[in-house]
This record gives sequence, structure tokens and C-alpha cells, in this order.
Amino acid sequence: MALNGIQIFKLTPKKNCKECGCPTCMAFSMKVAQGALELSKCPYMSQEALDSLSEATAPPMKSIKVGAGDNEYTLGGETVLYRHEKTFVSKTRYAVSVCTDMADDAAEAKLAEVSKVDYERIGEQMKVEMVYVNCGSGASADKYVELVKKAAATGRTLVLGVKDVEIAKAALEVCKDGKPVLNGADASNYAEMSKVATDAGVVLGVSGANLDELYDTVAALEKSGNKNLVLDTTGATIKETFANTVEVRRAALKNEDRTFGYPSIVNVSRLARDDRHMAQALASVFTMKYGSIVVLPGMDYADALPLYGLRQNLFTDPQKPMKVAPGVYPLNGADENSIIVTTVDFALTYFVVSGELERSGVPINLVINDAGGLSVLTSWAAGKFSSGSIAKFFKEEVEGKLKCRKMIIPGKVAVLKGDLESKLPGWEIIVAPREAVELVKFFKDMQANGEL
Amino acid sequence: MPFNRKPQKFNASIREVEIGVGEKAIKIGGENVFPFYTFDGDLGNTPKVGVEISDLGLDNPVPGISAYYEGCTTAAEMAKKAAEMEGADFLALSLEGGDPNGANKSVDELIAVVKEVAEAVDLPLVVEGSKNVEKDSELLPKVAEALQGKNVLILSAKEENYKAIGAAAGLAYNQKVGAESAVDINLAKQLNVVTTQLGVKPESIVMNVGTATAGYGYEYVVSTMDRIKAAALSQSDATLQMPIITPVSAETWGVKESISEEADAPEWGSREERAIAMEIETAAADLMAGSNAVILRHPQSVATIAKMIKELA
Amino acid sequence: MSKFIVIGERISVTAPSINRAFAEKDPEPILARAKQQLEAGAYYLDVNIGPAESNGEELMQWAVKLLQGEFDNVPLALDTANMKAIEAGIAVYNRAKGKPIVNSADASGRIEYVDLAAANDAIVIALCNGDGIAKDNDERMAYCQTLLERGMEHGMEPTDLWFDPLFLVTKGMQDKQMDILECIKMISDMGLNSTGGLSNNSNGMPKHIRPIMDSAMVAMAMMQGLTSAIVNPNDLRLMETIKSCDVIKNNTLYADSYLEL
Repeated sequence: MALNGIQIFKLTPKKNCKECGCPTCMAFSMKVAQGALELSKCPYMSQEALDSLSEATAPPMKSIKVGAGDNEYTLGGETVLYRHEKTFVSKTRYAVSVCTDMADDAAEAKLAEVSKVDYERIGEQMKVEMVYVNCGSGASADKYVELVKKAAATGRTLVLGVKDVEIAKAALEVCKDGKPVLNGADASNYAEMSKVATDAGVVLGVSGANLDELYDTVAALEKSGNKNLVLDTTGATIKETFANTVEVRRAALKNEDRTFGYPSIVNVSRLARDDRHMAQALASVFTMKYGSIVVLPGMDYADALPLYGLRQNLFTDPQKPMKVAPGVYPLNGADENSIIVTTVDFALTYFVVSGELERSGVPINLVINDAGGLSVLTSWAAGKFSSGSIAKFFKEEVEGKLKCRKMIIPGKVAVLKGDLESKLPGWEIIVAPREAVELVKFFKDMQANGEL
Repeated sequence: MPFNRKPQKFNASIREVEIGVGEKAIKIGGENVFPFYTFDGDLGNTPKVGVEISDLGLDNPVPGISAYYEGCTTAAEMAKKAAEMEGADFLALSLEGGDPNGANKSVDELIAVVKEVAEAVDLPLVVEGSKNVEKDSELLPKVAEALQGKNVLILSAKEENYKAIGAAAGLAYNQKVGAESAVDINLAKQLNVVTTQLGVKPESIVMNVGTATAGYGYEYVVSTMDRIKAAALSQSDATLQMPIITPVSAETWGVKESISEEADAPEWGSREERAIAMEIETAAADLMAGSNAVILRHPQSVATIAKMIKELA
Repeated sequence: MSKFIVIGERISVTAPSINRAFAEKDPEPILARAKQQLEAGAYYLDVNIGPAESNGEELMQWAVKLLQGEFDNVPLALDTANMKAIEAGIAVYNRAKGKPIVNSADASGRIEYVDLAAANDAIVIALCNGDGIAKDNDERMAYCQTLLERGMEHGMEPTDLWFDPLFLVTKGMQDKQMDILECIKMISDMGLNSTGGLSNNSNGMPKHIRPIMDSAMVAMAMMQGLTSAIVNPNDLRLMETIKSCDVIKNNTLYADSYLEL
């Protein structure tokens, strides 16, 4: 992050010696801020000043890698608190929680459930990425290691929730190649835990009784040379957890306090206990507000469909609109003879249009053109959704697959009708209403008039 | 060195708007911090949860909703039942039956429903129009007139009909005006400006800045609300300091995840659980982005979101 | 980014009617001008009571109470050569809408105005000026540094010093105009705030020309990072330009009615 002139000026000796070639320290600071001069041109800069400067120009939040191979995930590395300021870069990862306190069959059932949710949505594979293996108080090393082994068998990246140094060591023996997170350091054991994590080459999770304790522990760990950390911001209550999670992220990104410049773990499973609906609400809350790993009591399709949709939206780069893959999408049980509706590949358009078409209940083939991910009017104006491009796409991709020769085009590009009819002989071109919300009625009318 | 907390303090706050009368009246807004940032300062009034019923009764309901309203034959009976729902702060009556492209009920018919519902409950009332611009221009001023003295929120005045609805609701009959824009921050601001220029007091305006279901272009909703709250608080933009109400259920119950029956999508499991999750997770995200009130349908969603607000506030 | 701050300049003893009003403690002309300026979009009002050597303290207190009482604690810039009067004004000043502004310090004879602002947690307008007008931007920045150091020594936030590059009259010093704009850029690059009597640039020009020249100057200066100006807010063209620049700079959200706000 670039420093402004005043921050640099505060570090200068303010003696206006002119040895840097500038008439004043003020002018020097300004040139450094603009990038026109190197800081080293000032012969009187103290080492302390130089250190604080290099610290200040480091990224505000570290990128931390966890997991191995296909299951390697980057956490953190964010530079803004709001997506409109630039973009979020590392999406929230979800873990399902198991614990030694659970009965064996219950834990196994939970682990079996982990792989159930697995689907693609707009080019992104949606699944539970992690398993949180918690070591209940009083559990033996053997019992914990057994559970860790079973969890590792899911192939998911593990987060080991364990405070006992010896048990942690034993667990890492069987899973360290998968690069799990060792979530076990606190004020009482951080030195030993840090050594265990570093020896195994894994990321260390740090927690504290409150933010001050967490802060001190992170500072001590950094001093000892371990900067491969994630911070468990889970508190005793929902309110405290929310405050911790926001304060940590804000300290790093807004107030440039790099001690808190690490990704977070939020254990929703512990906060929501047996209330599954509360867990859904909190999963949403901590996806919106700064959870890097969110630990959930379980994940089925009901939990997943809204949550992964939310995450996908939230982590979309505002500069790059989401696109759906061009092609034929059969809706409501459509076959090759069903009527065709065509539109652009802008994800929002696709969702709005397909939603309305599904509501109509009419079997329809929705044909998505390659329009550069732009909306109907924008892509039309840019020449990416033209009679030429549509005709080419239909000849190459549609005519061989579908038998129906009736195509409904968006009302906003009604002007294309004539051109399309001449470029696609044998096709009947029908103009839809201008707004998607009118589609249901449009199809009902068509049905009533026997036009389908 | 201890952690140096730096609370974000603003010289501005969101306006407080009161809806309803008597003991059950609610206030929304009043905060001078970002949503639920209790560690920075005063949250004002906690966000409120409304239960939505429709003049059309139940449309394709899930078992939990059918069971909840079992035995109710009129809108008034449903309203009474809805008002008892755990976590409900207000009632939202949708007059979707007025849509000329749908049931096309007459204004008189709908006003009768509105009156009946208002008589039946003492919870604050939000009345949602037919969503048809022309129909609402005629219908909503009549609603405002019929409910004089009840201090209801009329949803909504849009760019095309704010003059008729804003003047009737906000000036002639002293109700609260909902200013609706569709995820367009400049229009949200403009509507507030022109509505106040009509003479409607800023503290009589609530914004509906539009929403989407999680997964359906929801990033625009997040950024719109984030930017509105930032402008209202950090830039002290008085034209955006109105509280926000979000009709969540109208969106979430219409997507395929909430509609598809189990037979159509067996791996997805119970339709009811999917629809509840869609409603809960979208509402939670709306509240995080800055909604001061949300409108929901399922008793489970209402209870969960009300509890979540209580836990966070 | 925050909105450009307009400091209304019209309550000044240089206007005969205001001079008389201060002398006779007649509220009416002062309130009338305050109202006009606030309605036109001024945020701060400058209160120039002149040298006020004999009754400055009492006069400033009267003015502060009068204006803040009538206009919901409108924030004020206290403008006089009498330091005691400024202090007295601050003593009765309500900060609900913003800190008081001390107008003004320079790097030479009036450097103690910085101390005064620091001691009273006020903002100070700091003229990048010593004895006489600075010959170039090196000199301006040296003054800027002197003033900034003085403020920081006394515990001020750097952003509470609003640096005034000193706008120069175009008729006569046309070749210096780009220097001033450069200087604003330097101040802005430092992360500091700036202000100034911008309409000085059009001094001596025909009346119908001045709003045009001032509008052009404010647009260019805002591009360079000027954060505030002491101007006549009842100059409609100027205010429309400022509002438009605020939109372009993303300091305020656009709405079709933005000019009416």
C-alpha cells in the first residue's frame, strides 16, 4: 500500500539539508510519494524509519495457503472492506464440523454427508472444501487420531481443532501431507504449538479469550518468526464473534494494523449449536462479513444452494461480469421440438429469464449466445449480439440439435427480426416483451392462442 | 502493546421512522454505525421483521405454511394468525391480486380487504401494491385514504408514480411512503429528493432499494446497500439517510430452488427446507448489507431471523 | 473522498452594510446574508469582523452566538487580526456541525495562529506565505513545511491545517496561475487539505466575466485536489460547477436533481 506524503514526511529528519537534491524535506516526501525519488536518497533516514516504511508498504493482509494439490486454497489477501471498492479475492471456504464427542456412527454419517453436495454453478464447482475435526476435552490421542484419519479419507482439507500439543503432534503425523490447519494456539501454549505447526509445515490457527489477548499472541508469534497464521475469531457469543471478525479485518485493511492482517476462522457450528436454521443465517452473515473459513454443523442442498450462490455473487469481480456458458438449456422438460427462446450469456440475464421461463411451466429450449457476458442492449450496441452472430450460432450449434424452427428474441432487440429472417431461412422469428417479468403472461397468451 | 481499537464515528445517522400506532408501533433506523457494528456506537432501533400475507391467500404453499394458517378462510383471519407469529414485528399485506395481468381485482374489492385486515390486527401495517405501475397509482392513494390514522407504510412509490402515491400517502393522509428503485443507487437518491420536493417529510420516507435472491445477481444488491449506507454516514448525504425495507420473500419464493418439488429434483431434498434456507440466508445477507426491516413468509424464517437480530444487536 | 467544502465569504466588514451591522450590532443584515449563503450551498460561513482592536472579543462572541443560534450551529470560520477575539469566539462556539476554523495563519508574523488553533482543537487556514508573496513553489512548500511542523509540534492532526496556496490575480500575474495549481497538487499529494480565496484570480475583471473565470479555476483546482474554497456561494455558476465536479470526483452520489441539493 502506497504511503502518502505526510506519512513519509513524519519519518524524515525535517532539517531541509538539501542533500537529497530537494529544497525541503516536504518536497522530498512528496517526490517519494509520487514514486519520483527513492527513500534512500535521504542520508539521514533512521533504520527505524526505514523499517516502519517497509512494513507500511507490505500488503495489509497476508495470503495464506492451506491444503495440498487440488484441495489447495488461498485465504486472505484482501485489500478492501467493500466489494465495490475493488473486488474481494479469496472466497470464503466452508468446513463441516465433526468432534470426538460425537458417537462414532454419528461422526461417520456426518463425514459421509460431506461429499453429497457437489454441483456446478456458472462454471464453479460447489462443494464442502474442508472438514473441521474438533478434539473434545478429555479425548485421548488415539481417539482423536482415529477421527482425523476418517476425516482425511474424505479427501477434504482438514482443520484440526486441538489445544493439546501432544495430541496435535500425533494427529499431524497422519495428515500433515494434506497441509491441514492446526487450529490450536492460544496465549497458554502458542510457543509449543507454533513449533509443532512449523515442524509439520502447516498453518497455525490462533485464538484468544478476547481481541487483546489474540493480538498479543499474534504479536508474540510473529516475533518468534511464525507468520503463517489464521485467526480464530469465534467468541463466546454470536455478537462477540461478529465484533471480533469485523474488528480484525478492519484493523488490517482500514487502520493498517498488520498484526491482524491474517485470514479468519469462524466456528458457526459452535455458535448455532443444534439450531440448523440459525447456522444458515450465520453462514450468510459470516460470508458477507469477513469469514475466511466458516465452520458449519453440516451441509445439505438446502443449506448449500443459497450459500454458494451468495458466495459466488459476492466474490465476483465488479469489473468482470459473470457469464454462463453458451449453449442449449432445456427447461420444464423440453425436447427437440419445443419452442426456442434466445438471449445473451450475461449471468444476471440468464437467471432472470430462465426463472421466468420456468415459472411459465412451458417446455422451452433456452439458447444462450456468446455475447461477451454483456446485457442484451449493451452487447447489441457492441455488435456482440447481432443478427449475424445469432444466425452463425444457430447454424453451428442449434440447427443440428433441435427440430423446432420458432425462435423468440428479446423485445429490446426487436429490430433484429427482419435480418434474422433473411439470414436464417425457414425460421419464424417472434419478438418477446421488453421486460422478463412479462414473459409468463406472454407464454400464457401464446398457449391460449394455440401458438405453441 | 494492546490492540488499538478505532471505532468508526460518524457525524450523521440514519433517520428514525415510526410505523403503526399504539403500543405495537415500531421504529426503524436511527443508527449511526454500519449494520450491527455495535462495537462502534449506537445501533438505534434494531432491524424489524415483517410477515407477508396476500389478498390471494396461499399460493402453492409448503406444508409448514399451510399448517400454520390452517382453518383461515379470509385475509383478516390470516392476518390475525400472522400477527401471532413468533418474532413478528409488523404485518405486510400484499395486494398482488390487483395486478391487471393476474387476478385483476378491482380497487374497491382490494380496499375492502385492506380495511378488514387493518381492523383485525394491532400490529403495524405495511401495504404492498400490485406491482403494476398504473394500477398502483390508483390503488395505493385509496389505501392511504382508507387507513387514515393507522400510520401505515405504503409500498411503493416508483419513478413513474411517485407523485400520485407520494402526495396521497405522505401529504394528504399522513402515512409513510416507500420509495422503490430497482438496485439503482442514483435513482434511489433521486426518488428521495423528488419525494421530499413534493413536500413529504424525510422522516416519512422508507426506501426499498430492490433486492434479489442470493445467487441471482445479489452482488448488485450488496454494493447498492453498502454504498447507500456509506454515503449516508461517511459523506453525510442527507438524501440517503432514510432507512431501508426489503421485501425478501417476494423474491426468494419465486426462484427454482424454492419452487421445484422434490419429485423434480430428488437430490435436493425437501422443498420446504430449501425455500426456508433461501429466505433465511437472503434475509441475513440483506440485514448485513443494511436493511432496517425485512419482509418474510415462513414462520421458521421469521423466528430465526428475529432471533439472529436479537443475538447480534 | 469527502465533498468540497464551500466557505461563504459574504459576512465581511469589507461590505459596507455588514460593516455597519457589526458597528451597530444590527443582526438583520448579517442574518440575511447568512441565510442566502446557506441556502445556496455554503457549509461554513466566514465571519470577518475586521481588525476589531477594541471590542473584538465581545463582538466575535455576539456574532458566533447570533449565527449559530439562528442557523442550527452552523460551522464558522473566525476571521480577524485580533487573536483574543478568535479565542473568545471559540469559547462560545458549538462544535456539533464542525470544528471552528481559525482564519488565518502564515509562516511568518501570523504563525501563532497555528498555536491558537492547536490549543483550541480548531482547524486553521495556513497561508503558504511568509513576508510577501512566495516567488515559486519551492518557497511555498517550505512555508507549508514550517506551518505543518508547527502544528504537529503542538499536537494537531495534519488534516486540520488547511493550506492556502494564495490565489493570485490573473490580470497581472497570468503566468503564475499554473504554479498555484501545481502547488495545490503538491499539497494534495501530501495527503493534506487546502483552501483559499479562489475568486481573487478574477479580481479586476468585468462583472459578467468573473463567474466564468472562477468556475474554470475551481474546476481545474478541484482536479488538482483542492478540498475547499472561500467563495461567494451566491455565484450560481460557480456553485453549479462545484457540484458537478463533486459528482465527477465521486465525492457525492449522482441523482438527476443534484444541482438542487
